[in-house]
Amino acid sequence: MELVRRLSPTARLKLVLLAVAIGVGIALPYMVGSFLVGLATLALIGGLFSMSIDLLGGYGGLITLGQAGVSAAAGYGVGYMANRIGAGYMAQILTGLAVGLLVSAIFGVMAMRSDSVYFIMITLAQGMIVWGLSIRLNRITGAENGLTGIARPPGLTLYWQYYWFALGVVLVCSLLLYVVVRSPFGSAIRGIRESEGRMRMLGYNTSLQKLYLFMVAGFFATIAGILLVYLNQFISPSSAHLTASAIGVLQAILGGMGTLVGPMIGSFVLVFIRNVVSQYLERWPTLMGLTFIVVILFARRGIVGALSRGWRAWLRRRYGDELTGPEKPAELGADVALGAQLKATGPS
Amino acid sequence: MADHSDEMWNVPLRRRSRADLTYDAKSPSETRRHGITDTVDGHARESLPSPSSEVTKKWLVIGAWVIVPILALWWILAQMSLRSFWIQALNGLSFGAVLFFLASGFTLIFGLMRITNLAHGGFYLVGAYVGIMVMSLTGNFLIALVLSATAIMLLGLFTERVLLRPIRGLEKPEVLLTIGLTFVLGDLSLAIWGGDPMPVPVPGFLEGPFRIGDIAYPRYRLFVLVCAVAVGAVLFYIERKTRIGAMVRAGVDDRETVAALGINIKAVFTGVFMFGAFLAGFAGVIGGGFLSVLPGQDFEILLFALVVVILGGLGSLPGAVLGAVLVGLIDAFAKALVPELAFFTLFAPMALILVLRPQGLLGRVT
Repeated sequence: MELVRRLSPTARLKLVLLAVAIGVGIALPYMVGSFLVGLATLALIGGLFSMSIDLLGGYGGLITLGQAGVSAAAGYGVGYMANRIGAGYMAQILTGLAVGLLVSAIFGVMAMRSDSVYFIMITLAQGMIVWGLSIRLNRITGAENGLTGIARPPGLTLYWQYYWFALGVVLVCSLLLYVVVRSPFGSAIRGIRESEGRMRMLGYNTSLQKLYLFMVAGFFATIAGILLVYLNQFISPSSAHLTASAIGVLQAILGGMGTLVGPMIGSFVLVFIRNVVSQYLERWPTLMGLTFIVVILFARRGIVGALSRGWRAWLRRRYGDELTGPEKPAELGADVALGAQLKATGPS
Repeated sequence: MADHSDEMWNVPLRRRSRADLTYDAKSPSETRRHGITDTVDGHARESLPSPSSEVTKKWLVIGAWVIVPILALWWILAQMSLRSFWIQALNGLSFGAVLFFLASGFTLIFGLMRITNLAHGGFYLVGAYVGIMVMSLTGNFLIALVLSATAIMLLGLFTERVLLRPIRGLEKPEVLLTIGLTFVLGDLSLAIWGGDPMPVPVPGFLEGPFRIGDIAYPRYRLFVLVCAVAVGAVLFYIERKTRIGAMVRAGVDDRETVAALGINIKAVFTGVFMFGAFLAGFAGVIGGGFLSVLPGQDFEILLFALVVVILGGLGSLPGAVLGAVLVGLIDAFAKALVPELAFFTLFAPMALILVLRPQGLLGRVT
């Protein structure tokens, strides 16, 4: 109790919210039916996928539009072993992991010397090439028909079993991500986001750090890809398409880039909207594109950004200034503004 | 500045101080593990290369430029007859022509404004559909070409003025906005024109084959090639010899100075963006004549255009020409010889270029 009392109000609020979220998460199968639990599973996996994008984009400043290529490659690894070879579950999962990591290592080497817009273009091309290959390599991927009949491991076959399993994996991954973000490596990554030149001057090999970051993010995207393929028991080229990557980015921005919880919130919101809207309207991509445009134009800090602003305003009114730390998350593209300011105020 | 540095690290003060200490608080072996290398040493050597290594590198590059095409040619000719070689080469060049229309606009916009317009694929697709519509109303290919390109130009005007202007200078939000726009354009096209593939009707005098010796080749594709050469020549003339071209080139190098000289750089921006969109619409109608128009093409053609500029060098017009020719040829021969690997043949050169020469073949180091 003493420990709790010593925490700042913000930390206390965060702890309470986190506990409530995890509690609701665990109790969900008792509260709602199979359809909603299925949606929640999808949202959890999408959230993990989006977190991996956010690790690159929000923390490293490297926005990727090809992350679906990595997770789909992992999914195809699983699917190939299950559908074409008929291997056991261990072999399926290990193949999925290996393929995902290999692909992210290759992509990382290609992209590590670029930044900003160039990085977006390269990753977009990479993701779309995975999509193109999955359409053409009929023998391995089953082309447009995809790979079917990928059974879940025993003990995870029922919807609620798989939901709890996914919840557990996502929680462990979130914890790992939290450790990564708080480590010296995480600080170095944020430093590269703010000023790569300065980090190089400090002695960091920034390209190498970016490669590591790409592979760490690729690892989490791989996990998400494997979870997704067992959820759907099916994989097709559309899982590697730019649309899938862009949805991941949209979720991260909608929730709040540069925070770990933001992408998860964004994922739940988007999955929910999609399922409500698609009952009345066929034009989901239009709505998604419009959401993209509106969020970029008017809400670049996302949901978490807006909430934290409100909370900080309340705190300031109640306690005064000294308790409110620096604002989080940084606005998308804040580095540009900072760069301009450095230019204006720095030594000439 | 002091309170700003907190925001820069985005972590509470306590953590930041530890991050700052990382460098000197660790033993040398540990610092190496965290990717910290001796920059002064590494960069000093890089910036002062010995003359002999420069010369060796130069000859290696020249050797690669000579040997790789010869090897590729030899391998291709070992696989197919001379006749089908020419046909495939023309197929590749005509596809490259369409890619050139797209990539040149894309590269111009990027070079001047630093905007990566990913909606270029969407512009292409809508341009093709508008072309089909105008063609079915008037039956005149030229009118379809001009009207459709103009319509896309106006779409470009809207995009630049209304959508992109509020976030001008924020590079990443700009890119993401254009990708959102691509989804809207693609899905609305699907809603309006349906999902069946359809061609842009071609005027009568361009239908049928053209005979050179014993090779019969579609006239329309040759027409596309001629178009590309003409448009390319006009583009180079405008860029190199006219006042507008000078403004654009100056804007690429130094926006602020150009603005200080009394040139309305914002108007130049809008003009270039509209011109790029015009070329994309043009490419849609021209390309729609032999690549059928269907939903999803926007993303596919965008992928090809991106590979073109990554290979050729972003922001470089000659780079767009070279990249378009390369990608067109690679795609045509790969589809003929190794159809299953068609996309991998695109990926491999891109990976090589990015590792060996990240700025692209003809790109400038910024």
